[in-house]
Amino acid sequence: MANYPDFVPYPFQAERHLARHPICTDGLEDQRHRVLIAGGGPVGFATALGLAKQGVASVVLEADDSVCFGSRAICVSRRSLEILHRLGVGAGFDSIGLPWTGGRSFYQGQEVLRFEMPQDDNQQFAPMVNMAQYSIEQTLLDGVQANANLIDVRWQTAVTGMSQDEAGVSLAVKTPTGAYQLHTDWLVAADGGRSAIRETMGLRLQGTSYEGRYVIVDILMKSPRPAERLAYFDPPCNPGSTVLVHKQPGDVWRIDYQLRDGEDPDQAILPEQVMPRVQSLLDMMGETAPWNPIWVGLYKANALTLERYRHGRVLFAGDAAHLVPIFGVRGFNSGIDDADNLSWKLGQVVSGCAAPALLDTYSSERVAATHENLSYGTKSTEFMAPPSFAFDLMRRAVLSLAVAHPELRSLINPRQSAPITYSASPLNGPDEWGALGPRPGTVLPECPLTQISASAHRAVFLSDQAGHGFKALVFTADGVLPPAWRRGDGESSVAVQAVALDAPHPDVDDVLWDHTGQLPQLLGARLGGVLLIRPDGHVMARWRDANDQGLAAVSTWLQQRLTADLSTSTGVTA
Amino acid sequence: MNSSELDQAYTHLCHTMTRIGEPDAQLFLARLALLAMNRFDDAQAAKAWIDAAAADVSPEVGR
Repeated sequence: MANYPDFVPYPFQAERHLARHPICTDGLEDQRHRVLIAGGGPVGFATALGLAKQGVASVVLEADDSVCFGSRAICVSRRSLEILHRLGVGAGFDSIGLPWTGGRSFYQGQEVLRFEMPQDDNQQFAPMVNMAQYSIEQTLLDGVQANANLIDVRWQTAVTGMSQDEAGVSLAVKTPTGAYQLHTDWLVAADGGRSAIRETMGLRLQGTSYEGRYVIVDILMKSPRPAERLAYFDPPCNPGSTVLVHKQPGDVWRIDYQLRDGEDPDQAILPEQVMPRVQSLLDMMGETAPWNPIWVGLYKANALTLERYRHGRVLFAGDAAHLVPIFGVRGFNSGIDDADNLSWKLGQVVSGCAAPALLDTYSSERVAATHENLSYGTKSTEFMAPPSFAFDLMRRAVLSLAVAHPELRSLINPRQSAPITYSASPLNGPDEWGALGPRPGTVLPECPLTQISASAHRAVFLSDQAGHGFKALVFTADGVLPPAWRRGDGESSVAVQAVALDAPHPDVDDVLWDHTGQLPQLLGARLGGVLLIRPDGHVMARWRDANDQGLAAVSTWLQQRLTADLSTSTGVTA
Repeated sequence: MNSSELDQAYTHLCHTMTRIGEPDAQLFLARLALLAMNRFDDAQAAKAWIDAAAADVSPEVGR
């Protein structure tokens, strides 16, 4: 008999969901849809929630009968937390996720790097929280089910074929209760790394696949050790290998270790191979509590992407569009950014507020983001899984010099996911504020503010301003809006928020007060200025003079931008 | 060099050595060391950096 601890289940029970067959005539669903989303994973659910927030209905098709199983994404970035809060599911992440702020790297048992992610008193969210993907998906699904009037999830429904023309997309699906066809105006392909939609359309991911393989092991172990990223290079317990350790909620620990050259992956994941390595790692770490294995899998790094993410009426998002290496935690987090970017643009197009060309900017912005993610992810991978003798040799040089020569330690830093700027986006408008603060295309920085409405004071954050359509922040000393910004009778697609840089006027209602006085420095904000933000929290334009550039002028400018044929100016810039 | 420039130089070195191949890697690194050494201030600095590079090259032996 094996002399290793028994496998135990995850501390999570996934609910099984039944297939449901819609009303069909001659095998075609009676109802035609505006948006179909292939894939009920984090990206599909986040896209559906983003659409529902705008009142746009969608149908999610998921081949499986439950949320995912096994060890997949585990790190949720601050930017993703911002987005998830906007989607109304943030509370679940706050209550389940394990926050952490940094990590340590060791070489042959000696600490060679201690890193901290950006963190200061202005922040609303931790730089990172750990949470298993099954919990991530369940939390999103809870939000989806709370929006059941707008989101229809169809489990055990696998896409078997698709075609599209000018007017829409036809899909063929199969379910345990039979096959049927359905029509939609738009299809979001969020069906993962092995995307059936991508296959059916004959599209190929391009880039680099790395040879180095990692074994991923989840174990159950009670330990008071805090959550941080631990990396062990050439550890005494597993010489020649690299080991990563992450704490997850529910006493689950995720251990990733690199296979040595020439090791047979099929052999390497057998319990008799895995368990002694886990035991010797835990011994080295000084962990003495009993433990049990939960799950073992293999991972191989890929740095691949589609050339563009819009193909007619089909929009690719998440792993279906790009595969980013695990190191640097940019896979799940870039998928959530995709969903956030796509859902507001699709919402605008579906509701007739924007021309379909707006969706080309989803492609160009997110393809550029992928190239940035891949450039960091590639560097991390080259360090964590050296692709040649040269990378391996140089890594040994860095690690063995890092203690005596701190100036080399930055080469060991894992380059964790960070917000991405759409600096070349055709949506970016005028920037009349100068060099200070976020240029158009940049995500708003974080800052605590005071919201004053009906004489009540409430602590809020600058990032809370995103997710309410297009919003113009108008900066004055006392929060009194200039005449050009007071609402007339006309409808406007722009929400207006007065921001008081000094003490608010006692008579104003609904004003944001910069009570810490940081906005002039953080944003470059000056009296009389206007800052327009997009629904996803990226800065769109900064105008100098709110009197010159009133609400009517900004609304007209925005209208033109959304309805313009932007397709000529969407060249992808890396 | 700032950390990002150091990173770029490091990656360029790795790719260059990969292209040159393992058999000639030692010669390549020796030539790089020689070119870099010539940029040191004086013989004393050269000796100090040579000694720094040699320190703990095989830590397991020294432990």
